[in-house]
Amino acid sequence: MQRKTSVVVEILRYGAIFLVLGFFVFPIFWMVLTSFKPEEAIMVSPPRFFFTPTTENYVHALHDKNFLFYIKNTLIISVISTAIVVAFGSLAAYSFARYNVGDGHILFFILSTKMMPAIAVILPYFLIFRDVGKTAVGKSLHLGLDQHGALIVSYVMFNLPFAIWLLVSFFQDIPRSLEHSARLDGLSRIQVLRRVTFPLAAPGIAVTAVFTLIFCWNEFLFAYILTRKAASTVTVGVESFFTLQGILWGPVAAAATISVAPMLIFVLVMQRYMVRGLTFGAVRG
Amino acid sequence: MRKSLASAGLLALLSSGGAFAQECTDPVQITWSTIAGFYTDAMASFVKSFEDANCAKVTVVNIDNSQLYNKQVIEMVGQTGAYDVVTLETAEKAEFAENGFIRPMTAFFADKQDLLNDVSPTLRAMTVEYKGDVWGLPYYTYSAGMFVRQDLLDDPTEKEAFKAKYGYELAAPTTWEQHRDIAEFFTRKQGDMLKGQPLDKDFYGVGLMAGPFPEIQDEMSAMIWGMGSDWLNAEGKVPVDDVEKAMDMYLRLMPFAPPAALTVTYDGVMNQMKDCQIAMTAGFFLDQWPNAVKTEENCPGATMAAIEAPLKKAYVGGFLLAVSSSSANPEMAEKFVAHIGGPEIQQQFAEMGGASTLTSVLTNPMFATPEKRATNGQYATLNQVFESMAGFSSNLFKTPFGAKIYNTMQIPLQSAASGQISAREAAEQLAADVEKICGGPCPIAN
Amino acid sequence: MPTSPASSGFAAPPAAGRAGLSDRWFSVLLITPAMLITLIFAILPLVQALDVTFRMGDLSRGRIGDYVGLENYRVVFADAAFWQAGWVTVKFTVVAVGLQMILGIGIAFLLHGATFAKGLTRSLLILPLATSAAVTGLFWRYLYDTQFGVMNWMLGNLGLPEPNWLGDYTIALWSVVLFDIWQWTPFVALIALAGLQALPKEPFEAAELDGASRWRVLTTLTFPLLKPVLFLVLVLRTIDCVRLYDAVAVLTRGGPGTATETMTFYLYRTGLKLFRMDYASTMAIFFLYVMLVAAVFALTPLLKQFTDRAKEA
Repeated sequence: MQRKTSVVVEILRYGAIFLVLGFFVFPIFWMVLTSFKPEEAIMVSPPRFFFTPTTENYVHALHDKNFLFYIKNTLIISVISTAIVVAFGSLAAYSFARYNVGDGHILFFILSTKMMPAIAVILPYFLIFRDVGKTAVGKSLHLGLDQHGALIVSYVMFNLPFAIWLLVSFFQDIPRSLEHSARLDGLSRIQVLRRVTFPLAAPGIAVTAVFTLIFCWNEFLFAYILTRKAASTVTVGVESFFTLQGILWGPVAAAATISVAPMLIFVLVMQRYMVRGLTFGAVRG
Repeated sequence: MRKSLASAGLLALLSSGGAFAQECTDPVQITWSTIAGFYTDAMASFVKSFEDANCAKVTVVNIDNSQLYNKQVIEMVGQTGAYDVVTLETAEKAEFAENGFIRPMTAFFADKQDLLNDVSPTLRAMTVEYKGDVWGLPYYTYSAGMFVRQDLLDDPTEKEAFKAKYGYELAAPTTWEQHRDIAEFFTRKQGDMLKGQPLDKDFYGVGLMAGPFPEIQDEMSAMIWGMGSDWLNAEGKVPVDDVEKAMDMYLRLMPFAPPAALTVTYDGVMNQMKDCQIAMTAGFFLDQWPNAVKTEENCPGATMAAIEAPLKKAYVGGFLLAVSSSSANPEMAEKFVAHIGGPEIQQQFAEMGGASTLTSVLTNPMFATPEKRATNGQYATLNQVFESMAGFSSNLFKTPFGAKIYNTMQIPLQSAASGQISAREAAEQLAADVEKICGGPCPIAN
Repeated sequence: MPTSPASSGFAAPPAAGRAGLSDRWFSVLLITPAMLITLIFAILPLVQALDVTFRMGDLSRGRIGDYVGLENYRVVFADAAFWQAGWVTVKFTVVAVGLQMILGIGIAFLLHGATFAKGLTRSLLILPLATSAAVTGLFWRYLYDTQFGVMNWMLGNLGLPEPNWLGDYTIALWSVVLFDIWQWTPFVALIALAGLQALPKEPFEAAELDGASRWRVLTTLTFPLLKPVLFLVLVLRTIDCVRLYDAVAVLTRGGPGTATETMTFYLYRTGLKLFRMDYASTMAIFFLYVMLVAAVFALTPLLKQFTDRAKEA
């Protein structure tokens, strides 16, 4: 009896899982499918599932539109932003978690900076970077408009609050006793951080890194206002496919597939780690 | 692998940068902000010839049509000098001129009157001139007429049925009432007959651009101008009654448009046309002809025709090339404007299927041949449109708030098209919005 | 991986090697880099924005102009479109976050009990998260299209009504919600699933021995234990939803009319289309104020939990 009902339950469960996956995967599947369609098979009714696949959209995106240029920019900007966010965020989060700096007030202030609508501060940012870009420091750090530094600073700024909040909970789950004994063994505070705390918090740091990278990779508004061409990222680069003759659906699909691929590979590699990391931090809180 | 991808991109960059290092060692740098499309791709070779002749380096920045205006304004307000040559919609010219964003080119054109006079006079009045100055050259026109499936209008069975139902001959519409009748007549369900053949999908009388884009006002311009009215009267106010009437006229077409009318703009309408779903457009950008004519390949028996809109009034516009006030190299930028808008490049541009702005090109007999029909078949109609619209200008193009009005006015119009508010409410809301934008009645220049 | 400091052969300097640097200064030093960036790039634009709220600020009519007192606040508070956008934002946030939480948790339970192909399922679920709304939103527009879209084609084949997803003003907002659910439910599901998997075994075994009903276990054990992680997700999703811009910009541009115009999209239109930075900044400051007030209430428990644990030492 029991076995029989559980078989029914299992069938229902996998049926449900299949439906759920179908819903979440189908739009991406359709995008990838579109990227292999010849132009005349895209805007047709009824929608076409079978067609002679072509690589012309990829040729258009990669060769004619030089889409790798945008991928390269995005890679540089996202990776450096993520590295800075994780580094600064970890130090700060550790301080909040262990020393309770500011007794919660600074922590609250940091999250509150995330609540300001980006659109309201985008023009001030534009003017700041315009001026900073003319100074010697700005020039050496590439902080001007349409330079990588400006976007990196913006992304660091906008991702730090999220990163710090997530990391605080991870650090709090590391038993203090381990750090104490390390201190007693004569390690300095910095050495304790480097050799004990950070390695233990690695899963949490990985989770933070993954989300930060995803957010940077997919950001549009800042990339659109602060860059023109030389430092443009993929989300802005896609716009060169919106032509006066209409949206080039095939090449857009190809470009989107190409730009999703690095993220996907990265996320897949990190995902086990991520899932473990997330629980590590939050649940025992 | 990622590394090799990145370095491939880098290589491509380097090689494109290396092409200029011939005898010209220190080229003057200018940047042109414009919209992506085959015509900007075509421009690449024209840019090259300019660079070689003038020792310049031109960077072309492609921006999405819907973002071009605000991106350019931000750079102008910030006086960054990032864009030397900007691309302006007809309604934006007054704002850019009035605010000192662009430089008058009157002096530059003083000894180039022939070139200026070659720009179709109608187009020149609307796009180039403002307060007695010349502000650049248009290089691409999207002036509107209408596309129809001529094969449907000519079909004997349909002709007979139409006459029986409406009491007059089926032909290209000359009034908006006829346009509505034809739209209604050709709206059919899957399985119904069209030209004696059963339809394999629903068919609609008209394709409309009532999506959330600033194009529904272009369609309605044809109607309100056709009534002898305008979006703004001489006092700088919205004539509410006239807008309501035009809106009503538009709403009477809505039942015969595909549901997607509420979400698309011109590219969506072209897709519907090419997929054999619609019989005609309302006022529509004639530069889309090379796109529209593909219908003939996709739909058996289809023949496309570009005609003038009913009452011979429609949106006239072109992309104006103008020189930014904050440009560091304005002389080179001015030369570039004259180069792209000049006869030599316009001729080549037309040969590639672009909608030129010069009379000498538009009337060149070489484009009137059957071989050129697929790329330049709309030129004759375009010339008629300019003729019919001669001497006309809208106050929308004479107020420095034109760009903002133009970028906002689709909202009440689309609300009405979707049925959320009435035509009257839309007209009133438009009047209120415009008054708010201008801070009272809008100033109109003469 | 676990570092055992006791066994490291490193000749440690005496603990007093860093003499002079108290815990207090050390802790301040740690937050300095992050705080520097935050202070400069949050406070500076904020101060500028605040300044503009008291001045005339039509950018395309020139520079920022004279001080006008509270005029901008008066105009903004009297603007019906502003309140309308606020109402749309509230509707969107409540429904989207609510459904994402319910569906996400439901999917987490569904997957938690599964034994087969769990890793693959999880990997596929991440897909929507790894894409940018600015790009995938475009494909949703294509899916939703009434003439060429797959959605209505499928519904038509099943004999169901074919809605005008983005064109019908009565349902357009819910179509945007559906897109947001698609993109962000996996975020909730994955974190909730991780939470489920990390629950301690003992209390559940004890409950089973006591013969507690499933419902009782769920309400007295599972959810209370999951609460902290779900709360953090809820806060993050809420902040993102009220700031929603990309999805609206790419799917509907606030249309039809203003049916899907959220607060941030109205801000965009005011600030970057009409270039009324005075009104836009005023709205933003008001928006920030409301968010802060809400956050003080919503975040107090979480914040207290953090500081309590930090003080444990």
